[in-house]
Amino acid sequence: MKKIASLLMVFGASFSGFSQELNTGEIHGDFDLNLQSYQEDELIGATAANEVILNNAYLNLNYIKGNFATGLRYESYLNALADYDSEFKGNGIPYKYATYSVDGLEVTVGNYYEQLGSGLIFRSYEEKGLGIDNAMDGVRLKYSPTQGTYLKTFIGKSRTHFTYSDGIFRGADLEINTNELLSSENKIKTILGGSFISRYQERSNLIFKIPQNVSAYAGRLNLMYGSWNYYGEYAYKINDPSNVLSASKMNYARGNAITQNITFSKRGFGVSAEIHRTDNMTFKSDRDKDGKAYLINYIPTLSKPHAYSLLALYPCATQADGEFGMQFDVFYKMKKGTFLGGKYGTKLAFNYSRINGLNGGNSFLNDNTEHSPMLISIENEELYFQDINLEINKKINKKIKANFVIANQTYNKDFLEGHVKGDYGVLNSTILIADISFKIKKGHSLRMELQMLNSKQLEDYSAHVGSYENGLEEPAEGDWGMGLLEYTISPHWFFTVQDMYNYGNEITEKQLHYLNITAGFIKGANRFEIGYGKKREGIFCVGGVCKLVPSSNGFNLSISSSF
Amino acid sequence: MKKYLTLLSAILIITSCDIVEGPYLTDEAINPVDTATNSYMKKVLVEDFTGHLCPNCPDAARELDAIHDIYGEQIIGMAIHVSKSFARPYPASQAPSFQYDFRTQWGDNWDNFYGISEMGLPRGMINRIGYPDNHKLSKDEWATEVSNELNKEVDFGIDINTTINSITISSNVLNNVNGYYNLVVCLTESNIINWQKDGQENVENYIHNHVLKTVLIDEGLSSTTNYIAGQTIETLINYDLATLEQYNIDYSTNNTAELGNGNAGDWNASNMSVIAYIYNTNTKEILQVEESHLNN
Repeated sequence: MKKIASLLMVFGASFSGFSQELNTGEIHGDFDLNLQSYQEDELIGATAANEVILNNAYLNLNYIKGNFATGLRYESYLNALADYDSEFKGNGIPYKYATYSVDGLEVTVGNYYEQLGSGLIFRSYEEKGLGIDNAMDGVRLKYSPTQGTYLKTFIGKSRTHFTYSDGIFRGADLEINTNELLSSENKIKTILGGSFISRYQERSNLIFKIPQNVSAYAGRLNLMYGSWNYYGEYAYKINDPSNVLSASKMNYARGNAITQNITFSKRGFGVSAEIHRTDNMTFKSDRDKDGKAYLINYIPTLSKPHAYSLLALYPCATQADGEFGMQFDVFYKMKKGTFLGGKYGTKLAFNYSRINGLNGGNSFLNDNTEHSPMLISIENEELYFQDINLEINKKINKKIKANFVIANQTYNKDFLEGHVKGDYGVLNSTILIADISFKIKKGHSLRMELQMLNSKQLEDYSAHVGSYENGLEEPAEGDWGMGLLEYTISPHWFFTVQDMYNYGNEITEKQLHYLNITAGFIKGANRFEIGYGKKREGIFCVGGVCKLVPSSNGFNLSISSSF
Repeated sequence: MKKYLTLLSAILIITSCDIVEGPYLTDEAINPVDTATNSYMKKVLVEDFTGHLCPNCPDAARELDAIHDIYGEQIIGMAIHVSKSFARPYPASQAPSFQYDFRTQWGDNWDNFYGISEMGLPRGMINRIGYPDNHKLSKDEWATEVSNELNKEVDFGIDINTTINSITISSNVLNNVNGYYNLVVCLTESNIINWQKDGQENVENYIHNHVLKTVLIDEGLSSTTNYIAGQTIETLINYDLATLEQYNIDYSTNNTAELGNGNAGDWNASNMSVIAYIYNTNTKEILQVEESHLNN
């Protein structure tokens, strides 16, 4: 601890004026370690790691005193877990910052995360689950000149792995809360926002004109009235062609995105409706690079994030290049003592989402081709994803709680995973889930999950050359079953056994069990978990941003701790 | 309030943007290569790591063609089909689609050594510049890197002479250079009509060009590390196409190439070329490359 304190003192000392009082203030930190062994398993396609084990670890340290804060994050990838980009290699302190605020002005230097509006034009964030960290390195100022107005500006470069990408970003955002500004008691609360971002990247191209400063703008409005909440945002990006020489790939079209959301909620009841449309809105920190590490904006997902394994087996990746989507949610709590509500009440959550392609694809413009898709087109467009699901949550008696989900999902595997049409086709899955918890005695509880996924192929490729079902090129995974038992002895211990069984695989040898066993111990601020199991190759998404997780077979250890 | 809005507008103006209006083709003339001062031009090897099962890879091949259209014979392309996921042949039950095994032992070795396909294809190397951290370039980065490479001085000139059973490489030292250099001589084949995934389609009659077929040598250019301007090093290689072809068939048959099927023959000598290049064994940078039709 002393070492850490002195390290921070050295770091803090460079910001003179604050260093004298370092003996007061607070230091907080958290630590996280994930270690996994990788064995070869030909059947599931898992490969052994040359290193046998791979390990990711992080330590965050933050020192706070009054209006001043400084901190750093040490990261260690020796070498990075198999589902991380291989460029995460080695150790370093890629995140360090100092910030203070005085008289309404907040100054941050070093690394920071920032988001403009809902992220349509800019979002710098960290998501360990995805292996994404595009933290900025530079200077950020936030200023609130009067009550109700919030101005921020920043300049910086965006992190990619252990380095920073080429583009320099300059951004600004103004938000006005009219009720605060006018000290109004008006029942309609209005928050208006406008944001701007510009990327500079030096580029020259022998035959095409390439913009070096590419900017994007967005405007947003949030209205709140009683139980109602409206949020709308429109974003626009100027031409941002790749720096290539293939004439047919040069796209000078502008990009735009719109999102509209309206919510009504009161005690025990809520509805929400949302639509969004994106067209040519991929914005990268380096125009010539590919990979999620270079994405600098974020299109919020329009499908419900699922935690149950089989519901999340085929998740939807948001298409910043072009999609039109809609989502409706209804929440309802049946009151206690009613016929359907029973003794404890029953919670219902219905969700529908549907995402399809734009008419004729995204906007395209060059010397030979010009295309702008229709603003709204749904019916005849290529369906990317659809999810209809109903969740029923019920406490049956003092000892038993249950959660049931029924869902039907359509997943355009060919499109969403970048395959040729007719490789895997469009999957339609009907999923049933029962999650039941029993309280055995004080401190002891048992939770059981039973899940099944029934899969069928929607498209008919019988005229196709492929030799699998419906003429497809690749075999179908087909039906899945899943069972889980979790025994918890609170507050310290938990034990889990989980098996996913791909009994419907079209290839008999691949009708495999994916068994996982986990034991965990929690005491105070420390948490230890050890497990062994097999993972299926699949797509894992957080908020519509996805990564490919390779299949694996091995032990894992995770430790987390904070102070 | 007003002054803050003014401040904001000022920032926006400072960081103004470059809206480009068509026509998007620049009218700047491309400088012709100055060949008067030196009889050898700097040439650049574009190694396009690809696979017939990779739907996005033909875009990279088209970018390579576009680069070639601009710089002409200064650009030498090589398509290297690699890995189980991108280049395995389909099982016989799915015949006739994707039955050919384009993979070679050398392609797979380079892929493993340089870590290319694990990052996803298409991806390539331009004269292997940037090794060990920045050499795996996405296709959109190729043009910029090619233009950087072409500005470099030429230290070696390569001449290729071929007969029905031998290849003679003359490596001419143009400037005094010091270091460890290897000479690599490979054969590629063009105009192979076979299956390829392209975007959302399976294309039956795709034309595969400059596909790596074999590597004849990868050895020290000479025993010295001091190369003097004016020096010429001759390397004679005897070859037999039938033996080389059988080697690839065996590589695919014996399952050394994962899920191989032995269908790696049917070479057409009249469509084959020799590619010879000299690289620095420490930095891996390719200093010069030359291509010539195989007179077989």
